[in-house]
Amino acid sequence: MLLKDQLDFVKQHIVKNKMRVFMTILAATIGCAFLIVLASVGFGLQQTVKNEILSDEAVTRIQLYDDSLTKERAASLKDEDNVKAVVQKTHLPMALKSELDDREAHSEGKFYDMTAFQKVNGKLAQGSYPKAADEIVVGYHYAQRLMNEADQEAYNEKVEAANKKQENYMGEDEGFKGNIVGQTVTLTVENDEEQQVVKPFKVVGILQAPSYEWMIDNQVIFSDKAINFFAGLQPDPFPSEYIIHMDSMENVKPLLTKLKKEGLGVYSVIEQMDQINVFFAVFKAGLLFVGTIAVLIASIGIFNTMTMAVTERTREIGVLKAIGASPKLIQRLFLMESAFIGIVGTVIAVIISYVISVTVNFALPIVLEMATGEDIGEREMIFSAIPWQLVVIASAISIGVAMISGWRPARKATKIDVIQALRQEV
Amino acid sequence: MIEVQNIAHTFLIGKKGAEQPIHVLKAISFTIKPKEIVAIVGKSGSGKSTLLQVMAGFMKADTGSVKINGKETTGLNEAEHAAFRLTNFGFVFQNFQLMPGLTAAENIELPLKLQGIPASERKSRVEALMQRIGLAEVAAHYPNELSGGQQQRVSIGRALITNPPIILADEPTGSLDSETEQEILQLIADLNKAFGITFVIITHDDEVASFAHRRLKMHDGQLKEEA
Repeated sequence: MLLKDQLDFVKQHIVKNKMRVFMTILAATIGCAFLIVLASVGFGLQQTVKNEILSDEAVTRIQLYDDSLTKERAASLKDEDNVKAVVQKTHLPMALKSELDDREAHSEGKFYDMTAFQKVNGKLAQGSYPKAADEIVVGYHYAQRLMNEADQEAYNEKVEAANKKQENYMGEDEGFKGNIVGQTVTLTVENDEEQQVVKPFKVVGILQAPSYEWMIDNQVIFSDKAINFFAGLQPDPFPSEYIIHMDSMENVKPLLTKLKKEGLGVYSVIEQMDQINVFFAVFKAGLLFVGTIAVLIASIGIFNTMTMAVTERTREIGVLKAIGASPKLIQRLFLMESAFIGIVGTVIAVIISYVISVTVNFALPIVLEMATGEDIGEREMIFSAIPWQLVVIASAISIGVAMISGWRPARKATKIDVIQALRQEV
Repeated sequence: MIEVQNIAHTFLIGKKGAEQPIHVLKAISFTIKPKEIVAIVGKSGSGKSTLLQVMAGFMKADTGSVKINGKETTGLNEAEHAAFRLTNFGFVFQNFQLMPGLTAAENIELPLKLQGIPASERKSRVEALMQRIGLAEVAAHYPNELSGGQQQRVSIGRALITNPPIILADEPTGSLDSETEQEILQLIADLNKAFGITFVIITHDDEVASFAHRRLKMHDGQLKEEA
């Protein structure tokens, strides 16, 4: 029998029993859509977490913090494959106080080789990188944090008021309102042994705003030439680490593995990603399992429909067999019908699932915002994501289950006794 | 040529463990030559329908062999039997056994579909045959829109469409009035003459049997040639 004739045969029977077939397709659709939407929550949350991590520039960085690292090895790091730059970062391991007139702020201090730092940090928000040892670059919120007593009081009050409302106040109204670039600030460094260095530095540049809105950056970046100003302060030398900047995220892992094999202490956010991926793989598998139960329940409907179809058509099957239809052909015709139910149900389910997914991602932040008062939208949360892999997995499960459900009735059709079938009343 | 040798078959009836054997076919042998019309007659329960079913491969006999045009069919499996039936047999049943959802033309076309014949060829063959057997006017009618005689003509058309050498007919006029019965028998005689098709007709009706070239009578599981 030609394929077209087989399809016509199946179509004819579907049209004849359209209401029953429609209800069965509906059950298959609901089962499959439930499976996809449920698993899409896992994919969505994973995407949210991934985006959160990827939005941080740190994903292309490897931190190397090991005292055993030799100078030669440190120098050779930049020659490794796909390394964009290697920046040595030295921490100022003590409190750093900045003073400008009656204003003061407390910050972290870091020393960099400015050529390498400029290469990886790129454009500044304002000004230029330090050329002289007594020039500094400051964080985006540095000026905002330079407060006098009045500012500090106002800031404290506003923070308290914001906390009561469960809001966040970052101090936008306070601080130094002039242009900090070009100003000379007095920096004071004091350690626990009461050793102190007080020195004026000229602010020549401001760093870009941090990736996250909730982050405050009021650090002070020195040129590595400035370390000499703090000579004699304990601990000596100041702790330092190397930041290896890779050209892309994909190239982080190979070098990370290599450095680990060398026994060096290294860290990258990418390692966290691996753990997150494992967690979400298990989470998604669980959701798929629960969703598959819905598909299995739908398969009972398909089994019933196909069993009824075979029972109703016993005489027709008998006639077909009598005039020469092979058992394989009869089995195929019924399997095609159950496959049709599975495929149509799955296609509709995929479309519905996408609609639900888009609606959920659009509407849920609004609903949650109304319910909790928190601005969910700003966090760019993805509640539901349907990647093509999920569509493939769900379709395979749904169509596979439909075929298996139809298999037994189809087998039953091939076993129909011609003589018994022909004896049935018309 | 149909050659049946020592066919025997026993049914077991009754409750499990206390079944009674009914010897429905007892070492039956006979030969039917090409182009013959042979009537197998006998009372109800004499085993004539069982014999036809064994010949058609619908059921397996306990012993014996059936050869159709030199091909031993006794050992064929279900799929092989189906393929063999599709090219070697046409079937006409007492209650027509037409597909209610198909038109007269589509019912006749069905065996050609099973053979995988393209639609254009099927159409021309069906049209020609319907013309030949006087069904051209009712080609688009469904079985429930046809008279008993017309339905049996459609059934004969379906049996004929693949040009089989043999047509097995089980009580072909059993559901028809005497006038229509005569029409159908005349059609069978015409087709036998025109196409040289062998007809094996199972009937309990002497008038139907009188149309045949030969009569074989089934009685108590045995077969006798009648004059």
